[in-house]
Amino acid sequence: MNTKTETESNQLQSVASDEVAISMSKVNKWFGSFHVLKDIDLSVYKGERIVICGPSGSGKSTLIRCINRLEEHQDGDISVNGVTLDSNLKNIHAIRSDVGMVFQSFNLFPHLTVVENCTLAPVWVRNMTKTEAQEIAMEYLTRVKIPEQAEKYPGQLSGGQQQRVAIARSLCMNPQIMLFDEPTSALDPEMISEVLDVMIELAETGMTMLVVSHEMGFARRVADRVIFMDYGEIVEQNTPEEFFANPKSDRTKLFLSQILSH
Amino acid sequence: MTEITEQNEVSEKFVPKPSLPPPPNTTGAIGWLRYNLFDGFLSSCLTVLSLIAIGFICVNFYEWAFTKAVLEAANRQECRITPTEFGTCWAGVKFWFTRFIYGRYTDTEIWRVNSAAIILILWMIPVWLPRVTAKLNIALSGVLIFPFLAGYMFLGGDRNWFMEIMVSVAVGCFITVIIHSLLCLFTGAGISKWIIQLTGFANRSERLHKFPVIVFAVIIFLLSLFLINDVAFKEMPNNLWGGLFLTLVISGIGIASALPAGILLALGRRSKMTVIRVLCVAFIELFRSVPLITILFMATTMFPLFLPEGFHINKLASAIVAVCLFAAAYMAEVVRGGLQAIPKGQYEAAEAVGLTYWQSMGFIVMPQALKYMIPNIVSNFMGLFKDTTLVSIIGLYDLLGMINAVSQDPSWIGLHHEPLFTAAVIFFIGCFAMSKYSQYLERNLGAGHGR
Repeated sequence: MNTKTETESNQLQSVASDEVAISMSKVNKWFGSFHVLKDIDLSVYKGERIVICGPSGSGKSTLIRCINRLEEHQDGDISVNGVTLDSNLKNIHAIRSDVGMVFQSFNLFPHLTVVENCTLAPVWVRNMTKTEAQEIAMEYLTRVKIPEQAEKYPGQLSGGQQQRVAIARSLCMNPQIMLFDEPTSALDPEMISEVLDVMIELAETGMTMLVVSHEMGFARRVADRVIFMDYGEIVEQNTPEEFFANPKSDRTKLFLSQILSH
Repeated sequence: MTEITEQNEVSEKFVPKPSLPPPPNTTGAIGWLRYNLFDGFLSSCLTVLSLIAIGFICVNFYEWAFTKAVLEAANRQECRITPTEFGTCWAGVKFWFTRFIYGRYTDTEIWRVNSAAIILILWMIPVWLPRVTAKLNIALSGVLIFPFLAGYMFLGGDRNWFMEIMVSVAVGCFITVIIHSLLCLFTGAGISKWIIQLTGFANRSERLHKFPVIVFAVIIFLLSLFLINDVAFKEMPNNLWGGLFLTLVISGIGIASALPAGILLALGRRSKMTVIRVLCVAFIELFRSVPLITILFMATTMFPLFLPEGFHINKLASAIVAVCLFAAAYMAEVVRGGLQAIPKGQYEAAEAVGLTYWQSMGFIVMPQALKYMIPNIVSNFMGLFKDTTLVSIIGLYDLLGMINAVSQDPSWIGLHHEPLFTAAVIFFIGCFAMSKYSQYLERNLGAGHGR
């Protein structure tokens, strides 16, 4: 990973190390006969922040969902923190508890209060006591700026608040890697920034992050690397400055012109 | 931009019109009557006809149930109101009522059935008291452990080592539940908190807290073992069980086992493991496609033919097993329907935080799915409660069996209507209560989720 020399004034300094957090080699996946991931090679370094963009159906969500085995890849190797993903359930659970995920549709547990959402997995997966888990949950809820909503149910919160709870829920497991699957796509425009703010703060802590997103401002500011995918392939990857200023492929140019034209 | 502000300056001031009262005869009782009963000529005619029909039925029913009622009589013949006409012979129902409830259970032993019922009620009441904690544990112990105690109280006789242990466990649980509930009600802290406080574990690590509780459980168990040591009940073989009591035993066991078995079958049917899935599908489809009465006959008459010589299976036991299997197959499909209502994202979120399959089912999917399933589950329970009357055909004297027995008694020969009406009332009370309770559950569980 080459360190960046030029940084914009508000851009975060890269904290990526040489240590590989996620490595994917020759990963292939099919949905039925639809070839959704084609020979994906990707290495993510510890502390690196990657934004993945691309048109819908390009396989970007599937790519990050393969990392915690919400989708099973059929060919190639994925290893996360040195653990190879295969059908071994123990490995899968180990990886899942170290990899947090935030979904487009929040997927909070509607029958549990906000704080119960946050403590469930630490108590049952990390074997914490209830009080320990509750303290940690309140700490992260404070970090996402909604400690006062702890006793409410998800249905009583706005979309932006729900997504921040979802982020806090993942952080309570103290993950080493965070995956974000279009975290702001289901939000009303005025709520997007409150979620992005939380994500930027998270990036400042040096968390390894893979973000599927079309928030190009966020990509410019936070990403160490932007990846453009189409037809299940990584078409282009580069630093955000280079990616936005000098896209190499014509497909990338077309995509950027479409999403940046408004 | 400037144009808009200029327009705003010259625009007229908007004053909303005052609200007027609605036209007369559209609100209140008269409005309701007009709208629902007398909305046009045809509607008015139908209303009048219906009223006449309802009135006719009510008058006749009143005459049958009250005017012609004979409350005191020693046999059917005395129920005549004129030499040729029989009155409504409630005396027969009165005479037989204990038998309707307890079957042929010996009179002197009926208190055992009653006390088991009271124990069950006392055991379950805490579940409905808001101040009591650990409700799930109480309910589960009631469903899983109480049956052993009840079974012994009903059956009596000698206890083998297994029953000895299970009955002591049940007695211990019952004592614990009662102490726990009283502590919760009067001090606000449950029994485990008290134990931890009193043994001085409160200021030790939370991980050690289970030890004094376990020690207490063992003590209670040994105490119960000692308590029941001298207790022995006269044996009441289950061919003496009958009436509503038997109906409740069969349907109670069926209801209690149907839900867990149905959940397992439904999960099995959705499993990715082919063998398990095929087995579950085969079981569900087989038992759903065969009438209950066929299964009952198979269980009581054909199944014994396959057993080795001298190996007897109790008729009641095989009927109960048959009812349980049948109910489980139906429940499985209800549960599967509920599971399908849970969005995929919930499964994914549960998996993504590292919960195992059983954890995500138990904490995330089932609690939500069960809420959607309540109306169907209760319908199934009501169906099961009424279906148990079929066991009267294989010669068990459940409520319906006892009702039919009345008309064969020489003193009360031919007495059909009054006992059947009584049975209908008893079933209605049971089912209506279940239905009302399910509505209450739905409202209560729905509150606060704001979904």
